[in-house]
Amino acid sequence: MTLLLNQLINGLQIGSIYALIALGYTMVYGIVKLINFAHGDIIMVGAYTALLVMTGLGLPFYVAIVLAMAVCIVFGVLIERVAYRPLRSSPRISSLITAIGVSYLLQNVAQLIFTPTPRPFPAVFSVKPLVIGELSISFITILTIAVSVALMILLQFVVRRTKVGKAMRAVSEDMGASQLMGISVDKTVSVTFAIGCALAAIGAVLYCVAYPRVQPTMGSLPGLKAFIAAVLGGIGILPGAMLGGFIMGIAESLTKGYISSQLADAVVYGILIVVLIFKPAGMLGKKTREKV
Amino acid sequence: MKAQKWFSVILSIVVVFSLLLPMAVAEEETIKIGGLAPLTGPYAVYGEAVKKGADLYVSQLNQNGGIDGKMVEILWEDHAANDAQAQNIYYQYVDEEEVVAILGDVLTGQCRIIAGCAFEDGVPMVTASGTALDINVGKPNVFRTCFIDEFQGVVMANFAQQQGYENVAILYGADSAYSMGLYNAFKAQAAINEINIVAEEAAAFTDIDFKAQLTNIKNADPDAVFLPWYGAEAALILTQAAELGLDVVYMGADGIADIVDKIANKELLTKMTYADHFAFDSDDEAVQNFIADFTAMHGEGPTVSFSATGYDAALVICQALINAEVEDYSDTEAVHEAIVAQIKGISAEGVSGVISFDENNNPIKSAFVMTFDAEGTKHFVAKVDPQ
Repeated sequence: MTLLLNQLINGLQIGSIYALIALGYTMVYGIVKLINFAHGDIIMVGAYTALLVMTGLGLPFYVAIVLAMAVCIVFGVLIERVAYRPLRSSPRISSLITAIGVSYLLQNVAQLIFTPTPRPFPAVFSVKPLVIGELSISFITILTIAVSVALMILLQFVVRRTKVGKAMRAVSEDMGASQLMGISVDKTVSVTFAIGCALAAIGAVLYCVAYPRVQPTMGSLPGLKAFIAAVLGGIGILPGAMLGGFIMGIAESLTKGYISSQLADAVVYGILIVVLIFKPAGMLGKKTREKV
Repeated sequence: MKAQKWFSVILSIVVVFSLLLPMAVAEEETIKIGGLAPLTGPYAVYGEAVKKGADLYVSQLNQNGGIDGKMVEILWEDHAANDAQAQNIYYQYVDEEEVVAILGDVLTGQCRIIAGCAFEDGVPMVTASGTALDINVGKPNVFRTCFIDEFQGVVMANFAQQQGYENVAILYGADSAYSMGLYNAFKAQAAINEINIVAEEAAAFTDIDFKAQLTNIKNADPDAVFLPWYGAEAALILTQAAELGLDVVYMGADGIADIVDKIANKELLTKMTYADHFAFDSDDEAVQNFIADFTAMHGEGPTVSFSATGYDAALVICQALINAEVEDYSDTEAVHEAIVAQIKGISAEGVSGVISFDENNNPIKSAFVMTFDAEGTKHFVAKVDPQ
């Protein structure tokens, strides 16, 4: 029983990081119908920023988070402005390929600047776990889960209750109509990228604290997993990204713990296939009927 | 007047001969060994380590009169880890320089190629750093002074027994020949040593999350965990294990040697022990003398353990020559055969231990078990034998 609980907590920790990153995918998809493959590499940008701020400038952890968010927001908005906005009216495949191009560009520039050698991320918190009965949970795990859940609630509030959120929902529903209603589409899309990248930056720092290794290609794997989490939950739907992230994390952890570590990815992708067969729009996706 | 003339003639003859004589001796009597190593490029650090160690032995030997009064010289040509270039240099050594043996190569890739050539030509070859098992399989004239990957698994299982660990868990990389080789060797030796393997968990070298496996390992309550990984992965594993409260000791092999730069929390390293080819801070007199002589010759101390195995490689070749009591160096084929025969039966006191060779031409010698202090400095723990 303790073992099961421990494995569930392991799954929740990695799952909540997937969920944070998945939010960025799902928000951008919901609004401009673009799968932003460069989102994973924003994690890498955030990780290197935090690393340099902490080891190079010697600034504390919370300053590193703020600066990582700032740098990621600048990158995200800039990428959207330079690479995606000119292609907004071209076929969707063009922006998809551009996104893959941006992803490689970021990875390779990082490799040029920082070399492919992995660097260790400084230890921020004591690694001594808290022991509750027979359970032992590290502070990093608790922090990761708590921060992720809090951010998701905050994001939900922003989207549902604020003016910016209203604009985002309007643009996602009908871009042309909202423009006619006086909503600045460009500004709304920029804000969406900014929020997504800020969340990715926080995800990046939490990820580095849990897995202290920073390297130029570090973003592709969590990026891919988060994208799958977004699809699993229903891409374009915020609570779906969270649900997808948690399911992915827990499925991974339980497979590694009880079946076989080599099967972990197979099981996760298997779940995805089964879900998409029965609910093509994802777990929380609504059925849309296309009129012919 | 007449006497003076005779005197000057005799003097000039003596002067001319005295000038010619040592040159003639040097020309004929230098024993050449062909040294192969990358001395520039990204792997130069390993090549330089082997070269400096081997050069040290030869200079010591020459100071003590060489072999039967003949000086020994190791030729070094840089091939920058290029396969074709390495092969060209090999043929230059064997065909033109008529070397008695090849010392090298350094990296596994070139070792395989040169071993193939040396096997065909019957030239004795001793590598100081090729640890992959297949380099000398089926090649009776190819030897190495470093131990093979699998050997370290055996050594660490023996170390576990010495330390009294009864229950040991293993977390291995299922997608790496290095990790699998160590895992299988450790497991087999653990069975012989009657150590219980309480958990065997697999992961991949591409993984970054090891918590699920570590949770299972913690649940099995081992005394120690064997980690056949490289430093980068071991750094992640140690950090995550500490987060889960897994308070045990860890054992690894030579892949762990580079962990220091990969981990931020150096305190975790104090729980780690691993097998290395050499211990620079061993209190062994031979080791300390080696470091002092090395520093005196090269201006800085050895940093890579292949300097020690390089020294031993030169020692093995020269000791074999001494034992062979070769008189006629012009018959290179006979010299080659004599050296191979002598290396097979050698028992030489090297800096990395007493060296003799098993039936597969791999050294039978002790491994050095190392650990770290909280600053990440390596420290010698114990010398462990494979038997």
